Amino acid sequence: MQDFLNFLVLGLTRGSMYALIALGYTLVYGVLQLINFAHSEVFMSGAFGSYLVVNLVAGDTFLPWYGVIGVLLLGMVSGGIVGAIVAYGLERVAYRPLRRRGAPKLAFLISAIGMSFFLSQLAGKMFNRQKNNFFPEYFDANKRIIEVNGVHVTLLQVIIIGSALAMMLFLDQLVSQTKLGRSIRGVAEDAPTAALMGIDIDRTIARTFIIGGALGGAAGFLFGTAFGFFNTMGFIPGVKAFAAAVLGGIGNIRGAMLGGLLLGVVEALVPSAPWGTSQSWIGLQWTDVVAFVVLVLVLVFRPSGILGERLGRAA
Amino acid sequence: MKRESELSVQLKRLGGCLALGFVLALMVGKHEGSQRDYGFAFRQAVFAPRIFVFLGIGVLIYLLIIFWPRVTPYLQRPGVRPLAAGALTVVAADALLRWTDSGQIEGGKLGAMSKAAADTGSLDFLTRAFFGSIVPGTPWILLAVVALLAAAAIVLDRGTLAWSAAALAVLVGLWGFYAQASVRSFLGAPDHSTGALASLLGYLTIACSAVVVARSDAEHADTRGFVDRLFSWRPGLPLVVLGFVTGLISLLVATWFSPSNAVDKVYDLGSRFAGSGVSALTTAYVSWLVYALFVACVAVAGAATYLRHKALGWVAIVLGTVSVILTLVVLHDFTAVAAAAGFDGASKPWKNLGVGGWLLCASFTMLAGAGWIAATHKRADDVVAADLVAGDSDHLATTSANFNKVLLFVVIAGALFYPPMATPFWQSVLVSQIGIYVLLAIGLNVVVGWAGLLDLGFIAFYAIGSYTTAYLVGALPVKPPEWLILPPLAAIPFAIVICLLAGVTLGAPTLRLRGDYLAIVTLGFGEIIRIAANNNPHGFTNGPRGAINIPHPSIDLGFFKFQWGLEALPYWYLLLVLICVIVLLFTRLENSRLGRSWAAIREDEVAAQATGINTTRVKLLAFAIGASTSGVAGVFFASQVGVISPDNFLLNNSILVVAYVVFGGMGSLPGAMAGAAVLTWLPEFLKDQVPAEDRQMWIGAVILLMMIFRPAGLIPAKRRKAELSGLEKPASAETTAVPAGEGM
Amino acid sequence: MRTRPLAKLAAIGLVGALALTGCGSSDKKSDGGLSNSGGSKSSDSYTIAFQGPLSGDNQQLGINEVNGAQLAIDQANKSGDLGFKLKLLKADDIGDQSKAPAAAAQVLQDSTVVGVIGPAFSGPTKAVAKTYGDANMGLISPSATNPDLTSQGFTTFHRVVPADNIEGVQAADWLAKKAKKVFVIDDLSEYGKGAADVVRAQLKKDNIAVVSEGVDQKTDDYGPIATQVAQSGAQAMFYGGYDAQAGKLAKALKSANFTGIAMGGNGVKSSVFEKGAGAAGDGWYFSCGCLDAVTAPGAKDFTTAYKTAFNADPSTYSPEAYDATNAMIEAIKTAKKDGSVTRESVAKAITGLDYKGITTTIKFQANGELEEASQVINLFKQAGGKISVVGDIREQN
Repeated sequence: MQDFLNFLVLGLTRGSMYALIALGYTLVYGVLQLINFAHSEVFMSGAFGSYLVVNLVAGDTFLPWYGVIGVLLLGMVSGGIVGAIVAYGLERVAYRPLRRRGAPKLAFLISAIGMSFFLSQLAGKMFNRQKNNFFPEYFDANKRIIEVNGVHVTLLQVIIIGSALAMMLFLDQLVSQTKLGRSIRGVAEDAPTAALMGIDIDRTIARTFIIGGALGGAAGFLFGTAFGFFNTMGFIPGVKAFAAAVLGGIGNIRGAMLGGLLLGVVEALVPSAPWGTSQSWIGLQWTDVVAFVVLVLVLVFRPSGILGERLGRAA
Repeated sequence: MKRESELSVQLKRLGGCLALGFVLALMVGKHEGSQRDYGFAFRQAVFAPRIFVFLGIGVLIYLLIIFWPRVTPYLQRPGVRPLAAGALTVVAADALLRWTDSGQIEGGKLGAMSKAAADTGSLDFLTRAFFGSIVPGTPWILLAVVALLAAAAIVLDRGTLAWSAAALAVLVGLWGFYAQASVRSFLGAPDHSTGALASLLGYLTIACSAVVVARSDAEHADTRGFVDRLFSWRPGLPLVVLGFVTGLISLLVATWFSPSNAVDKVYDLGSRFAGSGVSALTTAYVSWLVYALFVACVAVAGAATYLRHKALGWVAIVLGTVSVILTLVVLHDFTAVAAAAGFDGASKPWKNLGVGGWLLCASFTMLAGAGWIAATHKRADDVVAADLVAGDSDHLATTSANFNKVLLFVVIAGALFYPPMATPFWQSVLVSQIGIYVLLAIGLNVVVGWAGLLDLGFIAFYAIGSYTTAYLVGALPVKPPEWLILPPLAAIPFAIVICLLAGVTLGAPTLRLRGDYLAIVTLGFGEIIRIAANNNPHGFTNGPRGAINIPHPSIDLGFFKFQWGLEALPYWYLLLVLICVIVLLFTRLENSRLGRSWAAIREDEVAAQATGINTTRVKLLAFAIGASTSGVAGVFFASQVGVISPDNFLLNNSILVVAYVVFGGMGSLPGAMAGAAVLTWLPEFLKDQVPAEDRQMWIGAVILLMMIFRPAGLIPAKRRKAELSGLEKPASAETTAVPAGEGM
Repeated sequence: MRTRPLAKLAAIGLVGALALTGCGSSDKKSDGGLSNSGGSKSSDSYTIAFQGPLSGDNQQLGINEVNGAQLAIDQANKSGDLGFKLKLLKADDIGDQSKAPAAAAQVLQDSTVVGVIGPAFSGPTKAVAKTYGDANMGLISPSATNPDLTSQGFTTFHRVVPADNIEGVQAADWLAKKAKKVFVIDDLSEYGKGAADVVRAQLKKDNIAVVSEGVDQKTDDYGPIATQVAQSGAQAMFYGGYDAQAGKLAKALKSANFTGIAMGGNGVKSSVFEKGAGAAGDGWYFSCGCLDAVTAPGAKDFTTAYKTAFNADPSTYSPEAYDATNAMIEAIKTAKKDGSVTRESVAKAITGLDYKGITTTIKFQANGELEEASQVINLFKQAGGKISVVGDIREQN
């Protein structure tokens, strides 16, 4: 049982990261009905940007607890800012001109793919192409906060799950309570009508990108702290988060959260069953297959995701 | 909505332009990031004087935008577009293309060649002068002078200036061509470089533009109308001119035969092969027959097109075809003799050929094509009568049809006879990159372009085709029963059937899904196939090591045997046959009942269902047909490379194929092919231009720019074009502004 | 409508920028005039080609290698006692056999190329080694470790690394002395799975319980696998894969409190692992058919020179590529001494090489493998953030 719980914690950690990235996909999908394929690069930029800041401030020193909190906030804020800037630039360069021209839907997908290639390779050229960049060790990530009967939760896991949950709650409130949230929902529901009601559609879309980008950038920082960062780091989590968004019902904020957590937990739990000392039944090399099979099964029975589509309705 | 003030708009624009310059500064250059110092590459790129050049480019662009309204009237004058095209061609030729293949000159571009050639005393004065022995950078100065002269002629509208610009352009173009040719014959090695030729073409275009400036008194250019008039005046005649020029180049300057240290023109062949046992045909061919054939073909094709004479047209077809065959026979004959006699460096039949023979074949093909146009052309009176009935839009259709026919034959000539002229590197790229991905793009076009189903796991079918082949030829650890082991080409039908089944298997559970849901499921399917191949359940796929030793294809028809080997070129013709068959089938399909059903479900599935289309069946067919094309590509790939492993079938490749199709123009068969060809050619071309590591970045930028400025793709499908621009304005597809939110 | 002119101008700007790069890169000083005898016979400049992945997913391995090769060539040119000049031609095959033929064609059509370092990966090697063989082009691969390669009848293929199987067998025998239950992980790549499979088979032969898992090398989160290792009760863990991923695994293992022996192969032992794993890598063992970088002559200089030249630490296969290139240069020298430098003469000279490099002594058997004597597998251990040699793995307990 404690083995199972350990894997569950791992799954929740992974899942909350997926959920944070998935929110970016789902927000953009809500207002534009488009997959923002370059969102993975927003995530990557957030990781690099926050690294540059954090490395400057924290250096290679071990920090006291308040220092750790400060650096974490700093990292998330700087990652979020960089992510927001990149996402805004992305909207201006790769999306708005196409909207103006009334391009077919797939053209947006391809321009985003072009942008994604461009950004990840530019980052590789500017920083490096090694796959092992790590944040400075400014706190003991392995420190065990909770340890009951062999079930343990480390400090890093607490930080990741906690900040992800906080950001998700914040976003949920933002979209359901504020004026900005109302305009986002309005555009998602019916863009022409929203425009008639006096909502500046271009501006709302840009702000949606900025919010999604900030979340993605902060996720980039968290991810980087846990697993390291590199120029093509966005691709795999991006695909997974996209799958998570679809799983929960794309365009649906709570769906993205649910989908992300679910996917993370499935990935951590299913392939390693029976979580004991013996050889696993399925094997970790089938992790992605398991994830996609679950996705297909869910979609076969609920063709528009677990919680259904539409940003407007469900949030 | 708030109105933004003029100042803030201008500031934003300037900021955008400067940002563009800044990003260019990051992109261009050899700097490379380092893990030990994250700011290293950035400092190299930005904290250096070069940043001012890039910011300058940004400012320049900004100024151009500001002054654009004042420039536009001039831009619409006749001759501006060809001038720009010509000047850009020359810039590209001088800066990007290779001017020599010789290993003596590193990179082989104009800059390196100039330095080397200007210092070589034994070259003649004219050659060295072109390469800058007097004034360094002569080619660039010449280009600037010619372009400025032509521009001045346009702005001032002076005939004399224009004529002198034209004359100068021709002279400079020929000078450059001559200089390169003399270096080439000095180096005495076969050469496949295209720089000098492209530069000549560029200068000729500039000359044409200057002539247009001098001759035309129109205020606005009517390029399209001009082209239409040109091509419909005597349908097929431009092809004759092209064929004539190509033939002249082949007979006068091109190398026909080059064992080591020799470059024989066609008129040198007679003396080289005198008394060496070549057949009487070859002797006759190189001494007089080739000229006679060429003159006859040009005369007959010219007469047929000029007089619009059907019978003469048929004669031209026969004559052209016979000439091609004779040329090929002669090429084979003398290379075989040379190989048998062991001329220095001559190795095998068909080896050591220069471009000359192939160029002449291309010329004959184009002349025969001109004959075909003449032979099948409707009489002009009929066309005019039809115009009167059908109105203006049909007239447009006929004239551009004339242009398309010419293009078709140029493409045929190129597809048949360009590859043997190319270097082994490009031959290999043509076969294993361009050709394969064109085939895949054709297949995916059915799914994405016609039926509108976004498939991000298309490469899985390619994998299935490849692994099926590997299994059937016995290259996997699990062998088929003895009686089933097949030669690779015989695996094609099996691969098609298995891919059809796989397509249906994927399609069936996902039929209810739409749009992006389908995308992620197909993506997952592609990954599942790859991971399964990698994880090697039951030892079937040999895991990441893949299948090795898949035999190369062979044909044995009793009277005709052919075994493909390691060389790339023979595969090209196999691939060409496959592509042609599939394209022919698919063009029939596009306008069939099924093709129209696909268009219907793409546009509106509910409405399509309401009109009685069985959407389930139609969608499954799209998946299955696309998949089977991919399977054929897989068979070809497996047996050509001989080694397959799961790493060939990555998710990235699936995404790239989608990008090719959309880049080319969704739903348009020529578009999908062009998109795949351009985007697979580009990285190989970029290899000489930017550090190899950065190629993907540039490709990303190109895809992005393409989608921003031409979202419908390179060659948009007619149906799509109509959707985007409205039927009444076929020419202005790009400029239509759609309010935000409606384009989706 | 407003953006249309912007469009064209941007395009023009791009072309202009491209033109600028063209000018920029063509500024390189060439060596004066041309000679008209053609080919490479009379000129005193030869080219060594490198074929490997310089772009795409595996580009980092290729960059590691091409830097090593570049360094060797630069040093040789600078030393001044060559009597000829050397150039490096980089042919990018993306580590993909479908692109390898084009890369090989690019190499073969340059008449100045007399030898090839590479192909870096086994798949491309299988696809093009015969083509190179037909052209008498000598190959020295720094990293193609698939055991099948030397039994395919490729006439000019050589490699300076032992095949997966030799390394794996001895590593497994050593692990068998240490543990009763071993957890073997591979990264699902051709090299990693190849190495791990050999270890698994040998461990089973030694009657050791084996738990196997595979984790895709693109994974970032090694948490689940590390927890599984820790919970399995295995006393030892072997990882078949590359350095950057092993660094992440080491961190995750530490986080999961795994206390047994951790071990990696040739692909793991590098400064990238040291740096990536940090303190978590202390106590890791490595099996590698290479000499110790500290004690071997010239190896320390290599690390310093590499850092100066490329502003990066030498990583997996950089030293091997450096050695392979130096061996190739040695072969060219020999060919020059014996007469003319041609592809044939260099290929012949490679077979007779006896060159002491920084990783191993390079002396080839007829099939292209290193001599048995050079294939000593050494055991290495990381302590205090640095990897150092322990000794011949067969003699360790």
